[in-house]
Amino acid sequence: MIPIAYWRNRKLYTRLIGSRCKKCGAEYYPPVKVCKKCGSVEIEEKEMPKTGTIVSFTKLTEPPVDFKDYAPVYLAMIRLDNGILVLGQLADAESEEIKIGAKVMATIRKWTEDGQSGIIYYGYKFKII
Amino acid sequence: MSKVYIKSVGVVPVGEHWNKSLTDLMVEASLNALKNAGNVKIDRIIVGNMMSGYLNNQEHLGALLASALGMKGTDALKVEAACGSGGMAVHEGYVSIKSGEFENVLVVGVEKMKDTDTSVLTKALAMAESAEFTQVVGASFISLNALLMKMYMNRYNVQEEYLDNFPVIAHKNAVTAPHAQFRKAFTLEDVKKSPYLAEPIRLLSSAPSSDGAAAVLLSSKPSDVEILASEVSTNELILFQRENPLRFEATEKAFKKAIEKSSIDPAEVDFLEIHDAFPIVAALSLEAMGYSEEGKAGYDAAKGKYNFEGDLPILTFGGLKARGHPVGGTGAYQVAEAYMQLSGTAGKNQVQGAKVGVTQNVGGVDTTSIVHIMRRVS
Amino acid sequence: MRLNSAVLGYGAYVPKYRISTEEIARIWFGEGSGPNRMKAVASYDEDALTMAYEAASIALKMANYPEIEAILVGSESKPYAVKPMGSVLSDILGFNKILGVDLEFACKGGTEAVQMISGMITSGVIKHGLAIGSDTAQGRPSDDLEYTAASGAGAVVLGQPNGKEIAKITHSVTFVTDTPDFWRRPKEHYPMHLGRFTGEPAYFTHIMSSVKLLFEETGYKPSDFNYAIFHQPNPKFPVEVGKRLGFKDEQLKPGLLNDELGNSYSANTLVALSVVLDVSKPGDKILLSSFGSGAGSDTFVIEVVSKADDDDYIPLRERLKNYVEIDYATYSKWRNKIIR
Repeated sequence: MIPIAYWRNRKLYTRLIGSRCKKCGAEYYPPVKVCKKCGSVEIEEKEMPKTGTIVSFTKLTEPPVDFKDYAPVYLAMIRLDNGILVLGQLADAESEEIKIGAKVMATIRKWTEDGQSGIIYYGYKFKII
Repeated sequence: MSKVYIKSVGVVPVGEHWNKSLTDLMVEASLNALKNAGNVKIDRIIVGNMMSGYLNNQEHLGALLASALGMKGTDALKVEAACGSGGMAVHEGYVSIKSGEFENVLVVGVEKMKDTDTSVLTKALAMAESAEFTQVVGASFISLNALLMKMYMNRYNVQEEYLDNFPVIAHKNAVTAPHAQFRKAFTLEDVKKSPYLAEPIRLLSSAPSSDGAAAVLLSSKPSDVEILASEVSTNELILFQRENPLRFEATEKAFKKAIEKSSIDPAEVDFLEIHDAFPIVAALSLEAMGYSEEGKAGYDAAKGKYNFEGDLPILTFGGLKARGHPVGGTGAYQVAEAYMQLSGTAGKNQVQGAKVGVTQNVGGVDTTSIVHIMRRVS
Repeated sequence: MRLNSAVLGYGAYVPKYRISTEEIARIWFGEGSGPNRMKAVASYDEDALTMAYEAASIALKMANYPEIEAILVGSESKPYAVKPMGSVLSDILGFNKILGVDLEFACKGGTEAVQMISGMITSGVIKHGLAIGSDTAQGRPSDDLEYTAASGAGAVVLGQPNGKEIAKITHSVTFVTDTPDFWRRPKEHYPMHLGRFTGEPAYFTHIMSSVKLLFEETGYKPSDFNYAIFHQPNPKFPVEVGKRLGFKDEQLKPGLLNDELGNSYSANTLVALSVVLDVSKPGDKILLSSFGSGAGSDTFVIEVVSKADDDDYIPLRERLKNYVEIDYATYSKWRNKIIR
């Protein structure tokens, strides 16, 4: 991963800070610069709710090279409590618990690191609650 | 405005080419097409490719090919639209001729994927998706499609087996296709026995990685095959920011625009080269183009609608799954195959009496969709 | 030291995974087990920082998110040798105007944080601070300490007493000597120790000296306390030191965790404090004595004032019921013990 690119977005990754359109109220994560519903550029930062439910999930046995040491990667589509869909990894997920409809809560885990001497990348993952 | 014709094509057999570099592949396909065209002065070269920078340390492909073909001085560029780079290159060639600015455009789609290992390739392919928000959470391209497939199976109550009919159709057709990467048929049971790569997508239902190049020579002068329409549409980059992730809106819109432009009735179409990277993409593409109802593409495939002898043959040379998927090359292969069908040069894979054909090439998860409608010039 | 700081919120985090000492013994000796039954193991994507975040989140919510001016994190398994956890927590928790730094004193880094923040609050230079102890203790494979070297984090939000706090810290003492019972040189992955020497001259001497020092300064005696929490490197030591100091089993029992969780090093006594505060009542007095190799002991007097007021809070023992056992291979992979 790219340390400076990560640093630029670190709060988005650890606090799920997305956007809210000041004109029509639509919320987004990832953040936007232009509202996809009404086209307004009057956008403010908004922290997303940290709880939601699983809408879909998969188990990736061969993740991209940056995540090779962390295989398998459990990915899920989560519908947050404000209605929006976000993509994220599942943490501490035992296979039996992973179901469509399971309730989850966002926490912070290590996403990956640049080897033994590089930066550690922390970000959101979802725990089944 | 000019009409656009396909004068000739040239394809490199898709496979693992340890002895051919990115340049070798492009040159081979180009020389084949040029040979088949006879004496033609190329005034533009368009190369479609996705990952030459990251995988082969090579950019500047337009000038590179012009130089390699002994055509310095020619207008040349590289076009990129993820897995739709090939189709986008054809589209750019179409627009070049239609505008009247150019007369003979050499379009080449190429990708060299085998010089690198799987996990690096997985990262490269994921570059079709958001670096800032999708790649960082460890998602790969196949995992996004897996999430979509599971969502589809859950919403429409469809079992995996129905969607697995698409790779089975692809492989059956590729047995007699000279340029296909895999020329061995298999059954639904074979697919089911293969391991999951990202559940519910399996090894035998996932398009392979490949080396290949396909060249299409476009001309303003009448020839055997005419491109009636070349339309592009895009959708939200972030899959989950779409209102309905299961709606392939880009394909829907591109196809609709192409149908209108070409004045063709969808029922007239004799064959479809769709973007069958994974069964779910094949299914959603067919549903987006209106050939199957929502949630029913798998059932239609099971009933034989899309078989070679069926109502609407698809993947006539094996598609992405069996002909192969040299990413940036695929869109060009599709158009080259459509040319073979419509010019009656498809050999054992000939769809009898083919008059109208459609190709659909996709970048990302239907993030960019490029649809071409072509007809046989009588 | 006379202190006047209030516990406004407390939180403990223990990872979901456990390995039994039987499993560890099976690999190295073919049979047997350790002094404890199991220990908590951090998952491959957890480290001292992610656990510190979890514990701090619980404590901050309980304290109703005051403006934190200092974050001190005690740990001997810092993710970075240079770059404090305070700097990472600053953006995650949203407090940028903080004194945020890591402390190390083996297993008493966490209580050092409590002392120092309490000092800043008592003297009035800050209004609110966050003291955390967090470790993913590295157990040397086949060594005795591998049975107990575990993972966990404990946090307290400290502020000025106002009568509505959960507890008040009224006194603390520290007793320190130069004792080579257990140490780690900078480029080493695992610590070294001197076996039985870690007992009498280290653990027992320092805790007893520190507690006796507190009794002298304050006039308190064992019977004045409802609960006693001693550092738990194994199940036996705290019970033994409690007995020698004149405490009864009932005073210690509610806080004993080593048998099921192992020793979470810098988090050890703070996690035990969490479990005791979960069951204590207003008016109760708690004696807490930590031990850090090297060596030293911090002893505190903590007076319980009121129950925590947080509807979403789940007591630690409830949360500990839900765990998953892993085998030695998984444990080795996750805790980076496999050479590649």
